[in-house]
Amino acid sequence: MEKILEKKRVDDWVAALTGYEVHAPALEEGIWGYQPINGPIRLDHTNTKQPPKEFAFPQREVFFSFEQIKGEAPRLKQVMPSGPRHAVFGVRPCDGRGVPRMDKVFNDHAQDAYYNARRKNVAYVGLACNKPPSANCFCLSVGGSPVSTDGLDVQLTDLGDRYFVKAITEAGKDLMTAAGKLFADPSAADQKQLKQVHAAAVAHPQRAVNNPDQAPAKLKASFKSPLWDELAQACIGCGICTFLCPTCHCFDINDEVQGKAPLNGQRVRTWDNCQFPDFTMHSSGHNPREGTGARLRQRVCHKFQYFYENFGMHQCIGCGRCITECPVGIDIIHVVNKVVENAG
Amino acid sequence: MINLKDIRETARDMLAKGEARAVIGYRRGSRGMLAEPAFLTKPEEADELVWDPTCFHNLSLYLVHDRKHLAHAGKNSGGAPVAIIAKGCDARSIVVLMQEHYFKREDVYIIGVSCEGTGVVDERKLATHLNGVQASNAAFDGDDFVFTTAEGEKRIPAREVMADRCLECRSPYPKEHNLVFGEDKTGRQLEAPFAALDRFEAQGAGERWENWARHFDRCIRCFACRSVCPMCYCDECVVDSITFPVTTETTADEKASRIRWIERSAARSENITYLMTRAMHLAGRCTDCGECDRACPVNVPIRLLNNKMEKEAREQFGFEPGASIGGPSLVASFLDKDPGEFIR
Amino acid sequence: MPDNIYLPSLGRIAYIKDEVVGERAIKTFHVEPLDGGWFDHDCGQCAMLSVFGRGEAMISIASSPLVKGYKQFSIMRVGRVSSAFHDLSVGDVVGIRGPYGNSFPIDDWRGKNLVFIGGGCGLAPIWPLITTAVAQRGDFKDITVFYGGRTSRDIMYRAELEKLRGSVDVHLSIDKMEEGWDGYCGFVPASVMNRDPSPQNAIAITCGPPIMIKFVIQNLNKLGFKDEQIYTTIENKMKCGIGKCGRCNVGKDYVCVKGPVYSWAELKYLPEEY
Repeated sequence: MEKILEKKRVDDWVAALTGYEVHAPALEEGIWGYQPINGPIRLDHTNTKQPPKEFAFPQREVFFSFEQIKGEAPRLKQVMPSGPRHAVFGVRPCDGRGVPRMDKVFNDHAQDAYYNARRKNVAYVGLACNKPPSANCFCLSVGGSPVSTDGLDVQLTDLGDRYFVKAITEAGKDLMTAAGKLFADPSAADQKQLKQVHAAAVAHPQRAVNNPDQAPAKLKASFKSPLWDELAQACIGCGICTFLCPTCHCFDINDEVQGKAPLNGQRVRTWDNCQFPDFTMHSSGHNPREGTGARLRQRVCHKFQYFYENFGMHQCIGCGRCITECPVGIDIIHVVNKVVENAG
Repeated sequence: MINLKDIRETARDMLAKGEARAVIGYRRGSRGMLAEPAFLTKPEEADELVWDPTCFHNLSLYLVHDRKHLAHAGKNSGGAPVAIIAKGCDARSIVVLMQEHYFKREDVYIIGVSCEGTGVVDERKLATHLNGVQASNAAFDGDDFVFTTAEGEKRIPAREVMADRCLECRSPYPKEHNLVFGEDKTGRQLEAPFAALDRFEAQGAGERWENWARHFDRCIRCFACRSVCPMCYCDECVVDSITFPVTTETTADEKASRIRWIERSAARSENITYLMTRAMHLAGRCTDCGECDRACPVNVPIRLLNNKMEKEAREQFGFEPGASIGGPSLVASFLDKDPGEFIR
Repeated sequence: MPDNIYLPSLGRIAYIKDEVVGERAIKTFHVEPLDGGWFDHDCGQCAMLSVFGRGEAMISIASSPLVKGYKQFSIMRVGRVSSAFHDLSVGDVVGIRGPYGNSFPIDDWRGKNLVFIGGGCGLAPIWPLITTAVAQRGDFKDITVFYGGRTSRDIMYRAELEKLRGSVDVHLSIDKMEEGWDGYCGFVPASVMNRDPSPQNAIAITCGPPIMIKFVIQNLNKLGFKDEQIYTTIENKMKCGIGKCGRCNVGKDYVCVKGPVYSWAELKYLPEEY
């Protein structure tokens, strides 16, 4: 389904989405973030500081609550996510490509009921990047594109005073038919302009990983390279690069106790990340990834080698957040290029 | 004006003569105009050094890293000191570290650089100024910053894009040094000390709480503020569950009985405990380098918390953190003129 | 797999035995399902055990799949959750989910000689294999067990090992000589060399401290065992058990899914991050 929507009618579209909780990028504290809409939405954002992964994989997820009266068996109460359907507007194509990657992680080998319950409840309305929203964009070199529709349910393309609106999935069609009257059929001129805008978007220069196809093999051959320690020398071991990554999925599971008599609390999943020093520490004290070099290697190789070996695609989708936000300049493009180049 | 050539020459000379086992300074990173930490061990690397308004980092953090690595490897430094480029605030951090006996004066060779009439750029202010245009280079030019962009050279008065901490800085000159470049402009006042804090405190209690509650909700607990802080050198941080220094020697009792002061969930109550405890532990130690504030990916104004502590210390005890190596520490010294009759 | 992999079943502690006492204490637990039956497992698989309010830990299932009434776990007291287990009494209820990981390919090994080499608490992960092979004794040729502890007090399953003698060749060892010890004295890899088991039609299975495994494998290679004839299990920190939380990730493998059982032929190509 392909339609034209005048920009000034976007809010009418959103208003017609009854039964949906609509989220769109908004500026808060100088940063773009997805927020429940509160008034007119604007889609002139760069990219959001945090990716939309939180809609299916929130930083905190309660698995179940437990209560145990002394001498009795504990009572467990499963807590499954529920609530209205979500429509998320303004998702950039790179972040869209993060979605099927997360789908794989949470459904390979075993299905994650919590992720899936949230995932099936959210539709992503993407916005093509007519020009790169960040100086560190590199989607093209990791198999993506500023006009990719992968992982999106609807794709919007900015044609000046109107959007070209394309349904990608059935869920996307539902969103459009909910406000069918607002949309017009695209003219031949609209189609032509769409092609031009998309062609220009793809032609826009970006930073690039030089040999992405060679990366898995070259990284594999470079496991013992001294470059890892060198490139990670400035690393401070914080969680920015992974917490802001649209495809990082590592987590921790803990019991949070609310009361002792009777014992009660919740078992909770929280984001975790491979850059924290103790992430891999065994209970014995042995830590297989002790240094920042080993940890940087894990992050980079997971994105560009391990995931590729398992699923035939790079896990990195080229949004550039980890580069822009690193307080000490660790740059995944530079790291991959340097290690790959050095592998000969 | 500081001549970069002089800094490079000093570094080259020290490394060539073995007077330093490493020089920690700044070099041009791979992402646009930003400088990044550089660790030089060979004289020929000295030409990589840069000095410009993006030299944000408080490099004394890496003196702490160096100590930790040496301790972990069971080595001592082997004689020659580490040379480090330090701005006024950075040099004061080094003084605090020495006051706390983290290392000795002879372990460090301080190559001081005066910020003179300027300071470092605030990326957020700059982004607003450049309106999305990316700069590829930044330079000091007297009281102006000069940015190179695709649309030509942009000259911006330093005051308009400088970080708040620099605007309020009273001592942009590294008093403690082995060698210093640039003029002493101690006492300069671009803005009143604690100006940003005073602006914040001018609000009513209700508004302040509302503000902080919102920020405490926004913290994602990536721990970048702690990780980037040279004063947060504790092997074990009391307020999180990820820095418990377990070794193969740690007993099961120690591991089992460790109190988890806060949960891993990035919830308001937990975030308050984390951020407030950190602020308390920085009282009299924070030299307002502003790195925590800069590193925060979600723009929590962490600096205001630390500033509050600093202001109290100054008003109550006339205390200036990092003023001199032999000077008193805020919490470990008592003077007759200290307020608080109850303690006498 | 159940619909919700993170929701544990409940199990009652039916039996507790002090296996090893002291700083590195080991206790053996039998856990029975609270309501009827639960999952079956294969030799080498693990389960995620939990004490509510303290958390979860991944533990090898130490009983044979042939044992249906309970599952056995031998847990060394090392941290938060294992200590909580050591504080439990018979009748207490714990959480259990699983089984996780791959298993020893025991069916491929019928008709072969089996050489087991264990050290310390490394006997637990291979114990289901040993007891299954003994229960199906006719299916296997010679079965030899090398097992060592630091001292005689660190030898776990002592009585059970003694009972194996007769149908299985058992060689116990301790690191340093003690009065009254009539077994081998020295490290486990040396104990193996002392008996030089033949690689002919044999599979060697080893589990124990990493340093022991390393030298055992070197020695087995010296004795002529091919990499494909040597099996071991590895461990890493685990949180989910199903290849999602990322903790146990080594190379492209999640140890909780692809492991814990590896032949040395496979393991030597895995990055050494375990």
